[in-house]
Amino acid sequence: MIELIATAESVEQGKSLLSVGIDTLYIGEDEFGLRLPSSFSREEIEEMTCFAHQQHKRICVAVNALMHNDRIEKIIPYLMFLQSIGVDAMTVGDPGVIHLLKKHCIDVPFIYDAQTMVTSARQVNFWAQRGAVGAVVARELPYAELASIAQQVIVPVEVLVYGATCIQQSKRSLVENYFSFTHQDGQQQPLFISEPKKDNTHYSIYEDCNGTHIFATNDVNLLPLLDKLVATGLTQWKLDGIFTKGQPFVDIASLFVEARRAFAEQRWTEEVREQLNNRLLALHPHERSVDEGFFLKEPNDVK
Amino acid sequence: MGITAKRVITKKPEVLAPAGTLEKLKTAIRYGADAVYIGGNAYGLRSRAGNFTYDEMREGVAFANKANAKVYVAANMVAHEGDVDGAGAFFRTLRDIGIRAVIVSDPALIEICATEAPGLPIHLSTQASATNYETLNFWQSEGLERVVLAREVGIAEIKEIRQKTDIEIEAFIHGAMCISYSGRCVLSNHMSERDANRGGCTQSCRWKYGLFDMEESGERHSLLGGDTLEEFSMSAVDMSMIRHIPDLVDSGIDSFKIEGRMKSIHYVSTVSNVYRRAIDAYCDDPDNYECKQEWEDELWKVAQRELATGFYYGTPTERGQLFGKPRKIQAYSFIGQILAYNEETQIATIQQRNHFGLGDEVEFYGPRFTHSHQTIDVLWNEHDEPIERAPNAMMIVKTKVTVPVKSFDMIRKKK
Repeated sequence: MIELIATAESVEQGKSLLSVGIDTLYIGEDEFGLRLPSSFSREEIEEMTCFAHQQHKRICVAVNALMHNDRIEKIIPYLMFLQSIGVDAMTVGDPGVIHLLKKHCIDVPFIYDAQTMVTSARQVNFWAQRGAVGAVVARELPYAELASIAQQVIVPVEVLVYGATCIQQSKRSLVENYFSFTHQDGQQQPLFISEPKKDNTHYSIYEDCNGTHIFATNDVNLLPLLDKLVATGLTQWKLDGIFTKGQPFVDIASLFVEARRAFAEQRWTEEVREQLNNRLLALHPHERSVDEGFFLKEPNDVK
Repeated sequence: MGITAKRVITKKPEVLAPAGTLEKLKTAIRYGADAVYIGGNAYGLRSRAGNFTYDEMREGVAFANKANAKVYVAANMVAHEGDVDGAGAFFRTLRDIGIRAVIVSDPALIEICATEAPGLPIHLSTQASATNYETLNFWQSEGLERVVLAREVGIAEIKEIRQKTDIEIEAFIHGAMCISYSGRCVLSNHMSERDANRGGCTQSCRWKYGLFDMEESGERHSLLGGDTLEEFSMSAVDMSMIRHIPDLVDSGIDSFKIEGRMKSIHYVSTVSNVYRRAIDAYCDDPDNYECKQEWEDELWKVAQRELATGFYYGTPTERGQLFGKPRKIQAYSFIGQILAYNEETQIATIQQRNHFGLGDEVEFYGPRFTHSHQTIDVLWNEHDEPIERAPNAMMIVKTKVTVPVKSFDMIRKKK
């Protein structure tokens, strides 16, 4: 059975996402979780968890930041809080957190998520043997590698089917530093950078308490390729709404719910695919563009 | 009156130098490195760094053993499906050759090494971004011997890590820096189809970018400019911690790492020499230690970019990045290495590395920080025929020196 996981930017949006058929909401505080559409307060995390559980749905909390000493200290009460409200899982990317869970006997299932670093079945299984109940694979994996991973992993792995891909995290304030050097006022609006000699590119860039984040020029959209994804046997599909806000994101999520139904009822056709994809493209923010990421690359395309 | 014993620091940190080739390995050790790190023919991150065959490793280990130095092998790629084939045999061979540790970031490779080559110590690579003490405790519980810290960790954090762990700590003290958390950057993958975590980094962070905001219509407003005509860039200046040796030693770092497996023997010899000198001076008499200007001057002779202290004293501002017109750094060219010296005749035999000739002001330097300057006023080729210039790479020439030199001393001149 395919599990659909989606970020939520608010309790309200989370409720809408659950109502259209999303199984698991992905939320968190940005002090401990990376690149969330918005940072939830503990009250909101608790409210969202209660609501989801009433609906027999799941909550996964982002705890996948790289922790420095100050945070690895502060995170202990947070982990205990997550345990006390009974969240279903959390993502973790820093082995220090895994060490803490054991040391303090905190029992929250964790999904290994070290972003760009999670690239093979053997690595996923390493973390599974140390307690991970799942893993999030890097976005830089071609279809053939995903298929190979799917056959060997001993825990389920999550694949991004819709949303933005982070391609660099720096601890430095790269935008602020530029504005300081050029003596300009800081800019609040969404910012982009473009590659030299490729003026049409538009890599999103922003800063938060985890540093500066840069995203791929195109957001990922695997909707037209879901039959291939189904064939790999990978059944945990994540949608990331960091740059697709409000109702359009809920509507896009509902398209993936429809797609899942079509597969379950064995009526995924060229026509269904095209119809769903056209609706997605109409909902996707107009200034952003989509492609299939690394999914259609051959393993040898990237040297 | 009581006698106050002079304080001495007996637990000296290791000077760990990069060695892209066998010649660089030998040079680094001659110039004071306690250990060197090299790359094998697979599983590393420097596909273009000049990597070692097993035979070269054997020769390197034999050389290092004689000098009581250690050789580590970096096998720090982030492996994809199929990449780890043969890794067990690779690690076993390294262990049997006498490699003292491997530097690894991918847990798949860590597991293979631990299970298939027991007895070969494992060091966690900086690529794995270890930034807190519990992460070090985790890796110690996995049996690792040492963790190379992320470059984002500061002195105060290292002191706390030291208090709360007892695994060995290695930290970068000199060289080029990634602008990102190492390992958390795939700019090259997305912009150039080159995998940064498998040795393909194209240094996209050093490019010049546009910066703009964009309306829903797609209309863009450039934000480049302000007071200067500067494009957006994320290029980091290089790191040098020469002025802060006491802080580094006192923080409890076990191994001081110099970056640069792609760098020349000129670079490796100079930087190793300086840090060897500074660390010895501090540890021998910490209460009367002073950082010498000549050490810093020496580092500038091989510098390619501005130098700063990275994250050791806080998150770098714009001054930690390469903005604006680069300051002119006096470049030096490495012109030769001494092969032999005859004390009676004062004639030195030189292997040429860059063209030079009569009238050139040159500088000789050697291990233990020996230095001398002179003008070349006589030059012979290998048949003892007088010549005016030494134009050919690796040609053997002779000259008369005013101050005695030794084999493996180096010669440089201002460009």
